[in-house]
Amino acid sequence: MTADNSKTDKAGPNEAEARPKAPPALLFVAWLIPGAGHWILGKKLRAGVFAAVIVAAFITGVLLDGELGAPEPGNPFSWLATFACLGNGVLYFVRMIWINGFGGLLGGIPFGLAGGGNPAAAGFAYGNTFLYTAGLMNLLTVLDVSDIARGEKS
Amino acid sequence: MDHLFLLVWQALLVSVFFAFLWRSTAKGRRNLFLRTFIIMVVGSVLLGWLMYPFP
Repeated sequence: MTADNSKTDKAGPNEAEARPKAPPALLFVAWLIPGAGHWILGKKLRAGVFAAVIVAAFITGVLLDGELGAPEPGNPFSWLATFACLGNGVLYFVRMIWINGFGGLLGGIPFGLAGGGNPAAAGFAYGNTFLYTAGLMNLLTVLDVSDIARGEKS
Repeated sequence: MDHLFLLVWQALLVSVFFAFLWRSTAKGRRNLFLRTFIIMVVGSVLLGWLMYPFP
């Protein structure tokens, strides 16, 4: 790569300031409800496909007795699992309320939450994979919504 | 529970997702879907066979 290329790759401070920012409320809705961000931006086909894929992966994970990530003290990997599963937005909270009850959800934060699932089940590890995948895919849709809202992608 | 079915189901969902995320034309989506789907399914089965001799 030449020096000229490196100059053109990096935007100056003025160019960076001029770039529009995605509305935080839009990104929040895109995270909370899979497909909603694309729907609001008029990308209805993509919204439908993303919603269907993410919900299907999440339900598969639950049916396979997968465990939703919940933070555990002394277990840093549980935080990564929580991050991935939190990506599911409202699906995560609905499942957590299903398992812990509404009072249990509020009272169990941060270290008293049960993620459900059955480690003895044959599909436990597969279920976890589906739950993590669904959450991470939804987080990617949030980044895609951000790109579209800022005009960097159509 | 059929492990191969779960593999194909996972590959199908992920391939459809990335086809719609990364491509905007029908042809581009179809091509990317087929490529990623086949790579995931065939690659996983091949990897499984390669791991077969190991305990």
